Amino acid sequence: MTQISSMTTFNPQSGGKASQLFDMTVAELRLVADGVIAIELAAPDGGDLPSWEPGAHIDVLLPNGLVRQYSLCGDPSLRDRWRIAVLREPSSRGGSSWLHDQLQEGQRIAVAAPRNNFRVVESERYLFVAGGIGITPILPMVRSVAAKGKQWTLLYGGRSRRSMAFLEEIEGFQGGASHIIPQDEFGLLDLDSFLGEHQPDTVVYCCGPTPLIEAVEQRCRNWRQGALHLERFAPSEKAKTREKGSFEVELARSGRRIVVPPHRSILDVLEENGCKVTNSCRAGICGTCLVKVLSGVPDHHDDVLSLDEQAAGDAMLVCVSRAKSDRLVLDL
Amino acid sequence: MVDVRRVRGGSGLDEINDELDQILDSVVENTRNATEAFFASYDKNPDPQILADWLTPRAWREIDYVFLLNEQIRRYGLAFERKHITLLAKQSFQEAEHYEMVGQAIESLGGKVPTSAPPEARPWSEFLWECLERHPLAAIAAWNCSETSASGSFEPTFRAGARHGFDEVVRIYKQIETDEKFHVGLGRQVLAAYAKTDKDRDEILRAMRGMRDIAWKTFTPESVSQARAG
Repeated sequence: MTQISSMTTFNPQSGGKASQLFDMTVAELRLVADGVIAIELAAPDGGDLPSWEPGAHIDVLLPNGLVRQYSLCGDPSLRDRWRIAVLREPSSRGGSSWLHDQLQEGQRIAVAAPRNNFRVVESERYLFVAGGIGITPILPMVRSVAAKGKQWTLLYGGRSRRSMAFLEEIEGFQGGASHIIPQDEFGLLDLDSFLGEHQPDTVVYCCGPTPLIEAVEQRCRNWRQGALHLERFAPSEKAKTREKGSFEVELARSGRRIVVPPHRSILDVLEENGCKVTNSCRAGICGTCLVKVLSGVPDHHDDVLSLDEQAAGDAMLVCVSRAKSDRLVLDL
Repeated sequence: MVDVRRVRGGSGLDEINDELDQILDSVVENTRNATEAFFASYDKNPDPQILADWLTPRAWREIDYVFLLNEQIRRYGLAFERKHITLLAKQSFQEAEHYEMVGQAIESLGGKVPTSAPPEARPWSEFLWECLERHPLAAIAAWNCSETSASGSFEPTFRAGARHGFDEVVRIYKQIETDEKFHVGLGRQVLAAYAKTDKDRDEILRAMRGMRDIAWKTFTPESVSQARAG
């Protein structure tokens, strides 16, 4: 196994520590819908990869310096492969377009081990709502709850049937109800029919474009707290509209999102937004403002984390450190 | 857990890091044992005035650090990077806050806040100021050792606080514990950044060794007994 500077090699016994960076081989590239490629990643020696659970994502470190997050959408029981699916974004700034145009089978690519802040909670019933490429985190969730014999419903919308990935796989899931709604055939998802009435024994998982997320949020306003679980696949404020050097921080426990401008610290902005974080030096020395990073790539500027800890990327000092990715999700 | 002793910023201590760590480990352990012994004694006679007397040299340390740090900056600060001047001044301000907080705790326990060095704190204070006279880094080494020593006192204090219900003292020392991580890290960084010669390192070691033999003593029950008898 090739070891890359500041990366670790595979160690299945490690349990796939969220922080590790891996040198992966592109085992297979396949067009799975209009504008969507599925990328199968494997260890160069074909060995087992760290385990993951539905809802997990990986950071992909592109050779052009960009870092992108993609949900794992394969089968967690297949230990030698991770699968992601990538939609070519019309406004791509070099992430999805690079993967579509440059990536080749057999090529090496660096990724971070899976992290998960979109876990499936225990429930009697599940309602999954996916829009477009938002099917990717939902797919393994449906597979998982179907395998457990739980009651589930999937509401999956897309522009057209040809643009909707993994339809054949979804047909194979047992025991639930799949509603495949291409917009050019049936119009928009009928959310009112599925979400209009609060169902106390049901949890809702939704991933998709911002209008879908907001529509689902609005209809779940009167549902019990904790029933709705969301994952956006784009920052709520588009990066291109923000000031250069700024980035977005999501507070995982509340789902709140704040923008950190170029010349202010994360800590300052957190405090301004009423989020208290223990701190003392505000200079990257004392380590008391250490915060766990759930997603995104920190840009470390502290003096006290070891180089290994910095490379791991799963914790950061918010008084001085910033982000290399457009967005960080912090355990706050 | 972040280890502030491993702070980056210079290589001036590389040759003596192991010895410094041994000194610091030793003084932390001695302070922990002294604090445990004090609270074992306090368990038998939980008189708030005794706790106030135990805190008195600690209050003095806080304000003496303020005087010392400001003098350190005045005498030697312009040989440092600006960020270190700023951070030393920030530490000084935090020490002043600690003097205020510990002072309030002492008063709430019926004690009197010291406005001159208490007899039991004089060896500590005199050694610190002597270090300042000797070498630009010696006082920093001495207070770094002293600040590190205090970390041995926190857990026994918090456990005793839970037993005896002195919640305000615990609250204050939780804040001090946070700030002392900064002070310990800053001291180590400054020493590593500006120690260049063997003489510098010898002075740092001398100061640390000297403080190792003093810093823990005012945490003992005997120190309080002597102060009360005096």
